[in-house]
Order: sequence, then C-alpha cells, then structure tokens
Amino acid sequence: MAMFLKNRRFVLASAVAGALMFPIVAGAATLNVMQTEAPRSMDPGDQTATYTAALLDPMYEGLTKRDPDLSLKPALATEWSSDAAGLVWTFKLRPGVKFHDGTPFDADAVVKNFTRHLDTKRGLAASGRLRTFLEGVTAVDPMTVQFKLKTQYPAFLALLATGPCLMVSPAAETAGTIGSKAVGTGPYKLAEYKSGEYVLQTKNTEWWGGAPKGEDEIKWTWTPEPSVMNMALQTGDADVVNPFPAAFAQQIKANPDMTLSATDGSAVFWVSLNTKMKPLDDVRVRQALNYATDREGIVKAFMQGFATPANSPLAPVTPGYDKSLAPYSYDVEKAKQLLKEAGYPEGFSMSTIVQEQESRIGELLQAMWAKAGVKLEVRKMEGGVWSKAAFLDPAGKEKDTIGSSIASWSSGVNGADLQFRPLYHSKSASPAGANLGFFSDPKLDELIDKAASTLDEKARNAIYVDAQKLVNEQAPHVLLFTKQDLFATRAGVKGTWVIPGGLIIVKDARK
Amino acid sequence: MKAYIAKKLLALPLILIGVSLLVFVAIRALPGDPARLMAGPEATQEAVDNMTRRLGLDRSLPEQYASFAYGAVRGDLGISIKSKLPVVDEIAERLPFTLGLAITAYLLAIGIGVPAGMIAAIYRHGWPDQIVMILAIAGASIANFWLALMAMNTFSVQLGWLPLLGASSWRSFILPSITLAVLPTAVIARMTRSSMIEVMSQDYIRTAYAKGVAPQTIYWSHALRNALIPIITIVGLNFGSLVGGAVVTESVFNWPGIGRFLVDAVRYRDYPVIQGVTLVAVTGVVVMNLLAELLIAVLNPKIRFD
Repeated sequence: MAMFLKNRRFVLASAVAGALMFPIVAGAATLNVMQTEAPRSMDPGDQTATYTAALLDPMYEGLTKRDPDLSLKPALATEWSSDAAGLVWTFKLRPGVKFHDGTPFDADAVVKNFTRHLDTKRGLAASGRLRTFLEGVTAVDPMTVQFKLKTQYPAFLALLATGPCLMVSPAAETAGTIGSKAVGTGPYKLAEYKSGEYVLQTKNTEWWGGAPKGEDEIKWTWTPEPSVMNMALQTGDADVVNPFPAAFAQQIKANPDMTLSATDGSAVFWVSLNTKMKPLDDVRVRQALNYATDREGIVKAFMQGFATPANSPLAPVTPGYDKSLAPYSYDVEKAKQLLKEAGYPEGFSMSTIVQEQESRIGELLQAMWAKAGVKLEVRKMEGGVWSKAAFLDPAGKEKDTIGSSIASWSSGVNGADLQFRPLYHSKSASPAGANLGFFSDPKLDELIDKAASTLDEKARNAIYVDAQKLVNEQAPHVLLFTKQDLFATRAGVKGTWVIPGGLIIVKDARK
Repeated sequence: MKAYIAKKLLALPLILIGVSLLVFVAIRALPGDPARLMAGPEATQEAVDNMTRRLGLDRSLPEQYASFAYGAVRGDLGISIKSKLPVVDEIAERLPFTLGLAITAYLLAIGIGVPAGMIAAIYRHGWPDQIVMILAIAGASIANFWLALMAMNTFSVQLGWLPLLGASSWRSFILPSITLAVLPTAVIARMTRSSMIEVMSQDYIRTAYAKGVAPQTIYWSHALRNALIPIITIVGLNFGSLVGGAVVTESVFNWPGIGRFLVDAVRYRDYPVIQGVTLVAVTGVVVMNLLAELLIAVLNPKIRFD
C-alpha cells in the first residue's frame, strides 16, 4: 500500500505517460471470460447455477458429455447399455484417466461420487434431482459400474453430463476441500481461486484427450453491472462476456471488433393461471387471455427482439418440441367473444405477481389485456417475497387473491419431462412443485407418465407432441416466449459455444 | 484522557454485541433463504431441508447467535456459505484493498477540500467562492454509481488511459479513489469554508491584521488551526458514509475489497459473511470516531474529556 501512497503526487503525470508507454495488453495466452456472477462453489455437485457450471466446465467431466451439435457423446464412460425396462444401466469406464491430484479414475471413484448425493447428511446443493430416481450405484469390476434406478428417467444420460454427475476427486471429497479447491479430470485444472477477484485455470498437460485445444490459461471474472460488462468487452479486459446484456446487443452487432452470438435458449417464460380460482377455472377464459396476448410485442419491448414467441410449453431446443404448432394468434375480438361465451361480456379483474426484474412483462400484459376488458393488477415483488407467494397452496392464493404468477422455467436439452412434470403434472401442484396454478388433467398426467417410461425416443417424442397440444388447448399458462442466449466475444475469438440456457463452453476457444 | 480512551474502548464490545445482534436478526428477517438459493429454484423440498441442516440454519435463533458469538470471540467468523472458505481469511485478504482505497480517497478529499474551502472563505462571495460552492454542491449530490460509470467510460473505454477493472497495479487506484473522494471532498470544502468564515470574524484575527501579520500567515496558522476542529469532527464522523460509498464504488470497479464482498454476500444471503464484514466495518467506524476526538484534544488543549 505504501507504494501507492508515495506515488500519489505522480498520479496525474504518470497516468498520461503510463498510458502512452504501456498500452493495456492482456497476456496473449490468457482467455478472459466475464460473467454476471461469482462461482458458488468449486464443487460441481454443490451448486445449481448456470454460470458456475460454465466456469467449472473446463475442469470437470462426466460419464457423458454434450457436443457443440448438442448431441450426447461418451466422455469418462466409453460405452453403456441398459436392461429392457430402462432401470439398470451398465457403464464401461475410460481407462488411464487420472484426476488432477493424481487419484486414478475408476469404478470406486464413480460410486463415491454418486453415494455422496444419496447421503442426506452431506446436503449437497445439486442432489435433489438425482435423489428422485437414483436407487444406487455399484462397482461391477474396477472399470465397470452399474446404476439402479427407482423409476424410468428419460433424461438420465443427459443428466450424467451435468453438475451433480461430474466426477470430483474422491480424495478431495474425503478431505473436505472440494468446495474451495476444484479437482476434476478435465482439460484444465485450477491454478488460483481468489473468491473476491477471479478464478484462474491452466492447461492439464496430462489430460487423457491429448493436448487441450484452448488457450494456455482461462481467467474468469464477474460483475453484476450490465454497462460494466459492455465496457469490459470494449476495452478488451474481457474476450468473452456471458450473458451479454440485451440492452447493448445492437451496439455490439454494429461493431466489427466484436461478435454477438444469439441462439435459442431454454428458458420459457409464462403466466401461470390459477385454475382453482374464478373465472380462471373456465378454459374459455384462459384461452381468451392467450388470444389477448401480443407475444411479438412482448418480445420486442421486453427482450429487444432476442427471444422467440412461444407456441408450445417446450423450448425449441427441447427434444420433442413441435414447431408446427400455432395455437394462439393475437386476436382481441376472439378473446372478447370467448369471454362473452364464458359469461363475462364486460370482462373481469384479476391479479398477477411478478419479480421486479420481469415487472415490465406485467405492465405490457396489463395494457394488452385491457383491450379485451380484463383489468390486470400487477404486484411487483422482490425475489424472496415472490417465491414465497408463488408457491402458496390453493387456500393461500385464494386468501391473497393471487390470480396468476409470471415466471420462467428452464430444462432445455435435458428433456421434456423436466418441463412437463414440474409445471403441469397434478402431483406437482404447489407447494410441492412448480405447478403454480394447480392445473390438473388426468389425461395429461397419463401422457407425461407414459412418455417417461417409453425408452424409444421417437415414440416418446410423439407422446410429447400430444402433451404439447393438450397444454396449448387447456391453457393452464399464457405461454409468452423462449429467451435467446446472448454472449459476445472479441472478433478474434473462435471455438466458443453455448449449451441452451446460457452455459458457455470456452475450453476449446482460441483468441 | 487515558480514562476516557479506556472508557470508549470498553464500550466497543457493547457496541459490537448490539450491532451484531441487530444485523443477525435483520438479515434473517429479510425474505430469501440461503438454503433455497444454494439448492436452486428447481430443488425439491427435501434438498432444501438437507441444505438447511448442513448450514446449521435448522437450529433455534439463540443457538445460532450463541455459536456465532462464541466463534467471533475466538476470532472465528465461520465459513462462507458461498465460497466455503473461512470468513476471517476472506476478510483479511480484502481488507487491505478497502483500507488502501479509503485512505487514498481521504487524503485526496482533505488535500483538495481544505484548500478549496479556504479559498472560498477568503474570496467570500467572489467568483472563486461561487465556483467552489457550485462544485461542492454538485459533488455532494452526484450519485457515486453514475460518476463511476462515466469515469470508466471516459478514461478507460474512450481514452484508454487507465485500467477499467480490478486492482492489478497502482494505476488501478486512480479512478476508484477519485470517485470515492468526491463526496467527502465536497463535504470537507463546505465545512472548511463555513468554519473559516466564522474564525475570520474573531477578534484575534482582527488583532493579527492590525499588528501587520502577513495575510498568508493569518490564513494558514491563525485561522486554519482553529477552523480545523469542526473539519476533523466531520472527517471522523463521515468515515461511516465513506464505507457506504466504498460498497458502491468497489462493486462497480470490481475492486476486491470488503465492500463488494458485502454486496455479493447480501445477494446470496451469505449470513456468516454479512455478519463478519459488518463487525469489521463497525469496529473501523468506532475507531475512526475515537481517533478524531483524540486529534481534536491534541489541537485544542482547552478540550477536556471526563
């Protein structure tokens, strides 16, 4: 510190001279990546945040992995098979793989990685999803493991490529240091974790896949300020910014020094209608609200155009999504007519709850629905308050007159079950799940369960098309749009891509 | 005076207990549950419950406070929920950055504010006075946040003179410390002006003029010495708002200090970090106030402490 103070009087002169003599150059061998938030853990199984998962990606691997074309490929497992019922899965492990700390990767390591999620005392953040269907994991021989599932789970192979199923060193797990010191098998290893400043990763020269393709080092920083992210890209402090704030996107598009990437994301935004409350228990009223909604208008006004108007409860990237569906046009007259048929020729009043950052959606809907005679009261809430109100049971929502909730859900490439089951299955009615409007349709429940136990992908997707049609027709939600994933890079950066939902992959990127 | 200092220092633990209790209750009254935030929006209730148990948040509030207080006394502020590192180490790593920034900002504020205020007082109602006062009002009303963004855009993005983010070299200090110094500079300039004007109307100043003492000597040694007391009081009392300013400034500049740490901690409801940082900040404010009082006693021997 003393050095800084002594130099204080030279500050102005040196600032000018320094800038002329030493233009700011980032080390050519370091890829600088900036995101919106700090990592929540160095343990992939103890976090559920997309941007943490992106930061950990270069250091960790699962039994399976996603390729840039979004297909699933073998990673730490070389091959696998399942029994006819899809309840017992056997995996052959890749030989000759070592964790960054030298611990060999074998069946014992895999077993240990999964049993830690089944241990309730461990209380890992990402255990929840695995625990719903995983019975147990055993070592058949040193290089073969077997998974037993409680129920069929169509997203099983996809889940193996994500957070809770990425392999951490059993030695680091036993030592209790994995949360602050990452030890995986990936092409990069942790060099430095300064929780207030950055995470630095260096190449793992002993990686089983040969020499890593990316830069020598990857340095991760973070800021919650959109304008700071934009400035960091301009100055070159950041080579990659993820997610890139939509407000500055047009500016980047016009700048030849930078590249903007906009691809279909996984977060579907919707208004969940309280189907237990009058008049929203009437399907005609719910359909009327769908007709009264100008989705294109919302995409333009709220997302600066970087979103796709929703035609299905699924995101376009989700397997089984049917892009030919076109259930609701923007048609105020039709909405009025449906309301008249339902016995509300003069319209009616209802409320919606929305988190502050999405409150603009509420205001837009208020203006749109007013044209059909629906008076929408928009209640803005801070995140914590909102989730308490949104997950109330029917009696609680009746008492607080909560007619609808604005929110989004993201399951993306991991499969339609993870969208349908928590949002529309009658068993997921809140507070148990995220079926916030208590929608209940035995036919839909049956379709969801049937799809989950259908192993053949084509047959399964056909069932999901029926389910999409049913949800569209019954309209438990006013489906709004699917967000696009935006990230920006300096023009020279190549090899960066994103898993829908915002999980950026930079381990192969060069600048 | 020794007795006075001892009394003040003895009061410190009481203040810390009071503040820590207040913070402890206040953050738990905030909506938002750290276990739910950690487990994510799609977590099952079972996963949230397991996380709650692991974080020790299933215990009764008195029990939680007792274990926090017992640890704090022994210099253990717990483990950060988010980074999984000991809070004491996390603070120790960041505190020098915040202190460095605060001290630089204060030196700037005093170095500019006091002379500016004196000039304004000497040329009272003249144009130098008007310029200083307009700048002071602007400086006191401008939002720290906006100023920081403007400074970054001008000096880092457009001109490319200074680093945009972080604390990589001494040049990184320039923009954040100037931003942080603006408000205290304005306050000090205004305080110096009014204090000087009051002193300049005293009899002994008139006597000094009558004796033929050079105006420069009157300003700098007769008047300023007496005008300093309210200025130091203001500097001491304002340390708290400087800490507040550091929170904003550090966040915008990605400064690795305890201010940004606190903002992040509030976002994730990282209770041990919020509690730990508040304790450290409160200790700093109390100590600064005490230092200011002592300095006043040194400058004015008439002031006595009982």
